[in-house]
Amino acid sequence: MVKAVKHYRPPGKKKEGNAAKFVTRSQALKQLQINLPLFRKLCILKGVTPREPKKKFKGTHQTYYHVKDVAFLHHEPLLEIHREIRVHERKIKKAEAKKNLERAKRLREKTPKPKIDRIIRQRYPRFVDALGELDDCLSMVHLFAALPAAESKKIDIECVHKCRRLAHEWQAFISRTHKLRKAFVSVKGIYYQAEVEGQKITWLTPHSLQQVVSDDVDVITMLNFLQLYEPLLGFVNFRLYHSINLKYPPILDPRLEALAADLYALSRYANANVNAVPSVVNSEASQVAESEQGDAKPKRDDIEHEKSELRLAQLQHQLPTNEPGALMQLVEEAASEEEVDQDTRECKNLFKDLKFFLSREVPRESLLFVIPAFGGIVSWEGEGAPFQESDQSITHQIVDRDSQGHKFLSREYVQPQWVFDSVNARIILPTVDYMVGR
Amino acid sequence: MSPKKQNEEDPHVSDSDTDSTYEDSSAADDDDGDSFGSPSESESEPAAGDDSEPDEHGESDSSGLHQEESDSSEDEVAPRNTVGDVPLHWYDDEPHIGYDIKGKKIKKKDKLDKLGSFLANVDDSKNWRKVYDEYNDEEVELTKDEVKLVRRLLKNRAPHADFNPYPDYVDWFKWDGAKHPLSNAPEPKRRFIPSKWEAKKVVQYVRAIRKGLITFDKPKEEDGPYLLWEDDSGLTEKSNHLAYIPAPKQRLPGNEESYNPPLEYIPTQEEINSYQLMYEEDRPKFIPKRFTSMRSIPAYENAMKECFERCLDLYLCPRVRKKRLNIDPESLKPKLPSRKELKPYPTACYIEYKGHEDAVTSISVEPSGQWIASGSSDGTVRIWEVETGRCLRRWDVGEAVNCVAWNPLPDVHILAVSLGQDVLILNTHLGDDEEQKKIKELLSVDTSTPSDDSGNSATSVRWLQDDKHGGIKLKFFKTVTAVEWHRKVLIHHLSKKLTQKLPFKLHGLAVRSTFHPSRSIFFICTKQSVRVYDLLKRKLIKKLDTGLREASSIAVHPGGDNLIVGSKEGKLCWFDMDLSSKPYKTLKCHPKDINNVVYHRSYPLFASCSDDCNAYVFHGMVYSDLNQNPLIVPLEILRGHTSSDGRGILDCKFHPRQPWLFTAGADKLIKLYCH
Repeated sequence: MVKAVKHYRPPGKKKEGNAAKFVTRSQALKQLQINLPLFRKLCILKGVTPREPKKKFKGTHQTYYHVKDVAFLHHEPLLEIHREIRVHERKIKKAEAKKNLERAKRLREKTPKPKIDRIIRQRYPRFVDALGELDDCLSMVHLFAALPAAESKKIDIECVHKCRRLAHEWQAFISRTHKLRKAFVSVKGIYYQAEVEGQKITWLTPHSLQQVVSDDVDVITMLNFLQLYEPLLGFVNFRLYHSINLKYPPILDPRLEALAADLYALSRYANANVNAVPSVVNSEASQVAESEQGDAKPKRDDIEHEKSELRLAQLQHQLPTNEPGALMQLVEEAASEEEVDQDTRECKNLFKDLKFFLSREVPRESLLFVIPAFGGIVSWEGEGAPFQESDQSITHQIVDRDSQGHKFLSREYVQPQWVFDSVNARIILPTVDYMVGR
Repeated sequence: MSPKKQNEEDPHVSDSDTDSTYEDSSAADDDDGDSFGSPSESESEPAAGDDSEPDEHGESDSSGLHQEESDSSEDEVAPRNTVGDVPLHWYDDEPHIGYDIKGKKIKKKDKLDKLGSFLANVDDSKNWRKVYDEYNDEEVELTKDEVKLVRRLLKNRAPHADFNPYPDYVDWFKWDGAKHPLSNAPEPKRRFIPSKWEAKKVVQYVRAIRKGLITFDKPKEEDGPYLLWEDDSGLTEKSNHLAYIPAPKQRLPGNEESYNPPLEYIPTQEEINSYQLMYEEDRPKFIPKRFTSMRSIPAYENAMKECFERCLDLYLCPRVRKKRLNIDPESLKPKLPSRKELKPYPTACYIEYKGHEDAVTSISVEPSGQWIASGSSDGTVRIWEVETGRCLRRWDVGEAVNCVAWNPLPDVHILAVSLGQDVLILNTHLGDDEEQKKIKELLSVDTSTPSDDSGNSATSVRWLQDDKHGGIKLKFFKTVTAVEWHRKVLIHHLSKKLTQKLPFKLHGLAVRSTFHPSRSIFFICTKQSVRVYDLLKRKLIKKLDTGLREASSIAVHPGGDNLIVGSKEGKLCWFDMDLSSKPYKTLKCHPKDINNVVYHRSYPLFASCSDDCNAYVFHGMVYSDLNQNPLIVPLEILRGHTSSDGRGILDCKFHPRQPWLFTAGADKLIKLYCH
């Protein structure tokens, strides 16, 4: 039975115009033989968006996709993988129903996993392209890093931890290479702007407080995005770490990690490996370094091949004392001077000879990121800190309280906003307006 | 039950909470039963209690109670009632509840009424652990241990606390010390030869594996990151799918999103309330808030929602590349020559002519450029020497002068003055005798032939018509001056002493008129349009549409093909009559009314003066090549006049030979601007 056709088209005559170029979403679903959630997921992963045909031939309330886009999804291997996953899920269900738990477990382990790397390469053929679209990725990863893991909301702990790690790795790179350009504290969080390979990347970090997952948010959609963003940031980080001769993923000092000082641990890792140790010479710091050396050793072996013998000898010689030798410093200076541009050099030297100490009440995470990014040395109150509050060489102590009890005369007490304002102005502002209690 | 046992057991059961136990034991002292194992003997005790019942009634209660207490194990003490396991409702109607061991009836106790029992219950703090024993008809108070026991039972545990349900297994057989096997049988042979069936099974598996029937689970692949973009410098491959449009970046935050924004960003309570009245779409999404310090910033409640909305935008919004013309605004500016190249033009005030006592309404420069005539609203007409500023002559005409105009012929020094309803033609007595004679002749002919007028004054010629004189300006090429009227225009031939009436009908009020510099063409400017008439053929040639609301002045380029019109709204229109009837260019330069516009006779200059006390000088080059449009360059703003009762510069004229500009202001001054 042939369906009655609305408009008569002579046999052999093809569709023309918009009707030939575009299909509605339900038509696309029918063509692809998938359900709507999977279609959405594929669209998110592949970056397929609806189109606006000049003439909406099926009505204005419809969503239209380009025929080529649908074909693009049709040829996607992910589609096949998701079908396999569905089959697998059915098998697992059956095994569980038959109490064949071992088989269910084996099947669960064998569930095929969609791989995103090819899609990432396809979407961002060049590294610069990926950097140019990193804004949303970074904001989302930073947001998820601050979310509470909730079983009911399908946000599992591993996902949160992974986001947290990725975010810290990114920050460590930016901070280490002094790529941060601007920072802005807003009600929504802290906006950062960095410039990597000529691309201006802006991202939002929520304040380090517990976020609430509201009910009017479809977490599944966000998790779909995260499924793309997580590997993307991983690959980007890998490439970035590769560019500064660091092994990725970094291996961290478990002690610092336990203290939730991930960022500091990462920066230490970077320092230990590239051996551009800014003189964090403190009795305790060196002690920490020594304890860290044990697990730092194997990492160093990896780089061994790349580095010249002389350099390695120096490196081995330098590290135990954790002091940059004169020659080493020269090499480092020469290497860094030629590669960095004017802007980076300016950023690197902003807080060059300053030593900061963060009080308890100050938002530690953001300042631990910002201050080293502009060449300063920073410590905080708590375990694992590189130096204590009583250190005489501290130049600035950052406090955010109404009154400061005991004051050291050798240092200035400023509010955290001073750091951000100085950073944005690129000069060390006078501290008069940022005194305690203002 | 033995009292000893009682005494032994009592403290063991509870020392703290029983008050009646010791009393009871004393009561039970007289009773002697030895064994407590048998129920019969144990039942002797309540009987003993019963014995003492008459003297101590309360005692029996307590003794019964004591019984219950003492027997933490039920089998020790039997109840004092001996009816056995019969339904108790058999005794409902009886006065007794049963029989004791000796067969005596046990009487029912008097029951307290409800109120009494309630009060007793309320008073008694231990009421909650009292249980009524229906069988023995008495209340039993549970001890602490008993309560614990009940609780343990409720929790499905063993009733005794010291009962261990999972004791360590103690093996009765000592394995370690055994020297010999348990059985003396020799080891079977099968334990020493490899299994045939196992070997078969192995072969089967090996074959299956070789054939590929059995596959092993592959080792788990670690899908960690790797160097994805290894070398993308030479990447030029064209993907065959549609062009990818990157999503627009999110807006960067402004001052209002700061945690401590300036006060003007923070909405007042009223404003916040008014947001509630708005539609949800119009409501601002973000309301600025102020926190005095960084530590007091709370978590942003909409963070998740905003991120989600961004996600929706990313995958649900159609992306279209908007073609935005990216034109450098600088490149849109016409390439104008610099002002330096266009010199000379008037730039600075050089001379001020003072003397008038009221606003100078009109000036006119003598064709040779030596003299300048001015008319003022104080009723005087003066002639000044241009270079020195000396006032040469002065006529008191007694009425406010509207307009003065020199005769354009250099040897006929006649001045036409319009005042009120009259037009005066004055002999200025300039020039040598011959010229003077000629003029006198001209004017005297005047006097001798009063053509159609009623009379004429000594030095003036008057054609007094029936129509009103409403003229503003009189001027003509060749010794003729024209006055224009309301609605009708008359042309006076001074040489012939004739007045023509223009045969055209005008639409709207005539504002200004002027003559073509070389041909007999006449321009009349009404409020909205300019009409061009041919005087010889007496017909309308052209009508120019100014697009202005109220034109105020008109000037014709010496070439004759271009004219400018000034308007009361401060606009200046340049018409190229060969081009179209619409303005070629409209310049909005003055904020107030333009009073006059004027062309220079020889230099490519034109000027406009306005009530805002400024005069603008423009470069207006007209090319002989018809393909080239006129070039208009603003050159200079001439300031200096002051405003008096809202009027600024009333008239301006160029010097006929030099690039100088005369301006007449309402501040009684005439100024000369030189280059």
